[in-house]
Amino acid sequence: MSDLTRMSCEETFRRLDDYLDRELSAEEMGMVREHLETCAVCATEFDFEQSVLDLVKEKLRRLDVSPDLARRIARALDQVEQEG
Amino acid sequence: MAYGLLGDRVEAEDAVQEAALLAFRNFSSFEPGTNFKAWFFRILTNWCFGRYRQRKRRPDTVEFDEVPAAYLFRQTRDAGLHRPGADPAADVIGKLEGEKIHAAIQRLPEEFRPVAVLYFLEDLSYEEIAATLSVPVGTVRSRLHRGRRLLQKELWTLALEAGIVAGPAGGTS
Repeated sequence: MSDLTRMSCEETFRRLDDYLDRELSAEEMGMVREHLETCAVCATEFDFEQSVLDLVKEKLRRLDVSPDLARRIARALDQVEQEG
Repeated sequence: MAYGLLGDRVEAEDAVQEAALLAFRNFSSFEPGTNFKAWFFRILTNWCFGRYRQRKRRPDTVEFDEVPAAYLFRQTRDAGLHRPGADPAADVIGKLEGEKIHAAIQRLPEEFRPVAVLYFLEDLSYEEIAATLSVPVGTVRSRLHRGRRLLQKELWTLALEAGIVAGPAGGTS
């Protein structure tokens, strides 16, 4: 990639959220990735943000759902089907 | 997701049941080949919003000030947590209880909460969130980015309150 298409730290940082969510075009994803491979400062920040997102999602998914819920719904659906 | 929007387990389970019944009764309105998950989530989200509006008491929400990007990164760095070999994100978020993080999402302003719930709890893409909430993808993007920063500020406050990190002398940030 030429210097003309290389992203600055500021341009890379502006794309932080979209990059972590894989919501950039393939070309932009590649440009950000290339910057991160050569800029330890930005790479540290991106790694940190990725860890935060992963940890928050992991913590939230561990919340238990009542084991009875699926049974309750199945019973309610059966009832509606019988009525209809 | 219902728990994320309503913040009450019993109400959330009722919401899922009611949404399942609604979906069953109105299944003819589902267009085969389209995203079933988004269709069902739209029903569930609408039911939750309706329930939420009926409530007299609503949860306290955080002040809506713009929070700078990378808020948590800067706070952890300034607190000296970025030592060589350390994992500052895990040192803070890893020690917070899931229920507390959940409550922090509940406190996000109404504008950001549904987007945050669909993103964090259901792992939906921007496009799927947009389809579920019937808003443009650009709206999802900006609400999610701003909501995420607000959440980072809340998480930092929780970490200070729980004593996971030491606050600056003279009070919390």
